[in-house]
Amino acid sequence: MEFDVVKLGFSLAGIIILLFLPPYLDGIARRVKARLQYRRGPPLSQTWYDLQKLFSLPSVRSTRSALFTWAPYLALASSITAALLLPYGNIVPINIGFNLIVFFYVILMVSVLLMLAGLTVQSAFSHLGSAREMQIILTVEPLIAILYGVMAYNAGSLNIARIIAHLHLTPSLVLTYGVLAYALYVESGFVPFDIAEAEQEVIGGPLSEYSGRLLGVFYYAIHIKRFALLWFFISVLVLPWLGTIATSIKAVEVLALQFLLTLAAYPIIAALEATNARLRVDQVVKMNTRMFFAGVIILAMAFMGW
Amino acid sequence: MVTTRDLEAHFEFECKACENGHCSKADVEKILAERKGLKDFYETFKEHIRECKRMTYGQYMFVIDREILPEAVLWWHNHPEFKETHLSTAVGTDERPLNGKFAFIPFLNVQVEPLNMDGNYWVFLKTYMPADDPSFPSVAAKLPAALWIEREVKDLLGFNPINHPDPRRLILPEDWPEGVYPLRKDMDYKHSPITEPKTEYRPTPKDTSLVPMGPVHAGVEEPAHFRLFVKGEEIVDVDYRGFYSHRGIEKTGEGRLTYNQILFLAERICGICGYQHSVSYAMAVERLADVEIPDRARYIRTLLLELERIHNHLLWVGIAAHLVGYDTGFMHAWRIREPVMWLVERLTGNRKQYGMNIVGGVRRDLLDYRKEEVLKVVRQIREDTKKFLDIALNTNTFIKRAEGVGILPYKVAKAYSVLGPTARASGRKIDARLDQATKTAMAYNEVDFKVPVYKEGDVLARVLVRMDELFESIWIVEQLIDQMPGGNIMVPIGDLPEYEEALGFTEAHRGEVVHYVMTGEKNKVYRWKVRAPTYNNLPAIPEMLKGYHVADAPIIIASIDPCYSCTERVQFVDIKTRKVKVLTEAEFNELSIKHKGVF
Repeated sequence: MEFDVVKLGFSLAGIIILLFLPPYLDGIARRVKARLQYRRGPPLSQTWYDLQKLFSLPSVRSTRSALFTWAPYLALASSITAALLLPYGNIVPINIGFNLIVFFYVILMVSVLLMLAGLTVQSAFSHLGSAREMQIILTVEPLIAILYGVMAYNAGSLNIARIIAHLHLTPSLVLTYGVLAYALYVESGFVPFDIAEAEQEVIGGPLSEYSGRLLGVFYYAIHIKRFALLWFFISVLVLPWLGTIATSIKAVEVLALQFLLTLAAYPIIAALEATNARLRVDQVVKMNTRMFFAGVIILAMAFMGW
Repeated sequence: MVTTRDLEAHFEFECKACENGHCSKADVEKILAERKGLKDFYETFKEHIRECKRMTYGQYMFVIDREILPEAVLWWHNHPEFKETHLSTAVGTDERPLNGKFAFIPFLNVQVEPLNMDGNYWVFLKTYMPADDPSFPSVAAKLPAALWIEREVKDLLGFNPINHPDPRRLILPEDWPEGVYPLRKDMDYKHSPITEPKTEYRPTPKDTSLVPMGPVHAGVEEPAHFRLFVKGEEIVDVDYRGFYSHRGIEKTGEGRLTYNQILFLAERICGICGYQHSVSYAMAVERLADVEIPDRARYIRTLLLELERIHNHLLWVGIAAHLVGYDTGFMHAWRIREPVMWLVERLTGNRKQYGMNIVGGVRRDLLDYRKEEVLKVVRQIREDTKKFLDIALNTNTFIKRAEGVGILPYKVAKAYSVLGPTARASGRKIDARLDQATKTAMAYNEVDFKVPVYKEGDVLARVLVRMDELFESIWIVEQLIDQMPGGNIMVPIGDLPEYEEALGFTEAHRGEVVHYVMTGEKNKVYRWKVRAPTYNNLPAIPEMLKGYHVADAPIIIASIDPCYSCTERVQFVDIKTRKVKVLTEAEFNELSIKHKGVF
């Protein structure tokens, strides 16, 4: 097999970004929120310090269930896998045929594992949190599936790289971007959709029995998942309109653009988080259902060729 | 200058109350003619009334037979003309050393006409019980407002409310032995027995599961235990167990401290509405001593009470925002609030108004050059709060969480004697500042302000009531500064009459605070009963929670502003050496240096 230095380089860059950037993104969000609240806010690395501290602490296991111990690691593996399925520059580190479907499922796995982990312990708050997580998954995932379907139909492929290469601008695609932003925001669990882990209501929900290293791993997995969803959104939003990426230099420029846009998106997310109260799960289910029907209409539009 | 009509100033060091007929020795016929409704009550229950007397201005006592206690209470509570009359609280007293009997006294806040402090009055329905059979027919069977009151006297004094619907333990801890009653006079205040803990939770109803909220819960920073019985996320029923921080303050005060010492204990009942307690207590004792306190002292008290209301309402709205995940609202509300604390520190030497009051007046004068500062701060707060409300009330997600949630209908509010903003959000037109004669200790009769009332009864209405009140408070502060009279700031009290009873009351930002004081010998207090507004509001919480989501529980519980009467401090523990270090004031201040210009 031919040893491709360029591909290796971009993949490495991708891996470094996906492993190190997510906690800094959270740091940016914390800083922006603090500024909106007239506070100074913690240093940008604060999330890293928090994780470091959690990693160094032992975990209290309140159940014998093996899933309780494995769920954070599996979630971390899932979110890393998801992030590896995305393009960095013009390179997708794991480029397999239908990787959009794989991306959909591995991202979903993080939520599913969070939910299952919550159900392994005997705690009303964990169970409530898991039930909420489940309701959110059950209502938002069909919406995401439909929107992915629109994009796949539009581009004629289920491969993320090929979708990016072949997307063409139609009204349905523009609408898809809008709804997709909402759906991925919900899936990321930012305020007002941080319902499953609501601190004041269910004391952290599925995470309420987690502590120390296991909690740290879960947090890390969730940060990477949020990063992956954002990176994916930015990639499908911007990359199709940059023309073919033939040279390495252009690929580096594209990677830099992806990186900067991801950084730029986080303050917006943080501002949304800071200016909203948390919704109730029934309100979110209602909103998701409405959005689902909007998604169906968009799908119909796409089939009509609009 | 104001005349406190009935009460004349007496500066002699002796009891004037008895001489002037302001206590038990006044003429009965004359007393009954003084206020509307008294005569009717007397006619209705004539053969069961043993004695009637006026305790002090606007406070009347009927000594009645215990058999008719429920009828008598309900006669007042359900009076067709006096709509807002409510059962405020009750006190049980061990009077065996005096007359060999136990006494139980429900108090009714009789509202002849809302907000008319010279027309309304308090009624004490005192009933004596023999020492060997301290039982009385339960009022709670017909009036939920009496539920806790009767459980309390059962716990603390061993009274037996016959046919009480829920006679479980309320106040004493689970490991307190049966048959030991702390408020009986034969029990030493240091005695603290312990036995095997016995819990008395209600069984979980069929087809529901239990969500234990508390005793320690991230959303309710108070040791209270709500047991939510839920179907899915919907709350079907609620059980409550509280009083985990019962400190036995009443017992400490009784018989051990002098009337002036108790004042300092009283203001430490609560870390938030401490000054309200202090003024209520001082007012009760001033009523007993029958002195008129100087106008300047009344004004300074009112000023500090209103400053307390301003900062408490801001504190509360911040907490409410935090509980629904709207942390920006929380941060800004507390940022706006902080200057009030600094101002109060300038005025009283303390961020809280501690150590400012004394029976007969206040301890520190308001220096004239500080008036400007007060006005500057409250005006700034008015501007900031307007901006804050503009943003918060336009935050769609915040409104979605507050609107239509935790509805408390008027009838339920009245049946539970709910007080303060919670009651006013449910359409009850009550406000102890104007309802009862606060003018002997405060200056509310001389300022102009509105009492906001909303009909919706949901969390949003409670937010709006409080915010409207905040602006009214700022307006009151401006008037007080403008009209501040000169003169002394305190008057000596002299000796207290023995075994006389009176109430002191204020409208705290949560509702009416009531202090009942019965004097003993040698200027000591024989019985001191404190009733904070949360005591009346909390039993109504289960009614507000039913039918709503678990997610709504924290905001609904917080919407009555439950009182967190505990102190917190910062301490560092070195985990290696196990050494504990408590921060000094200077170190603590260093942690909270006032940074400016973050943006």
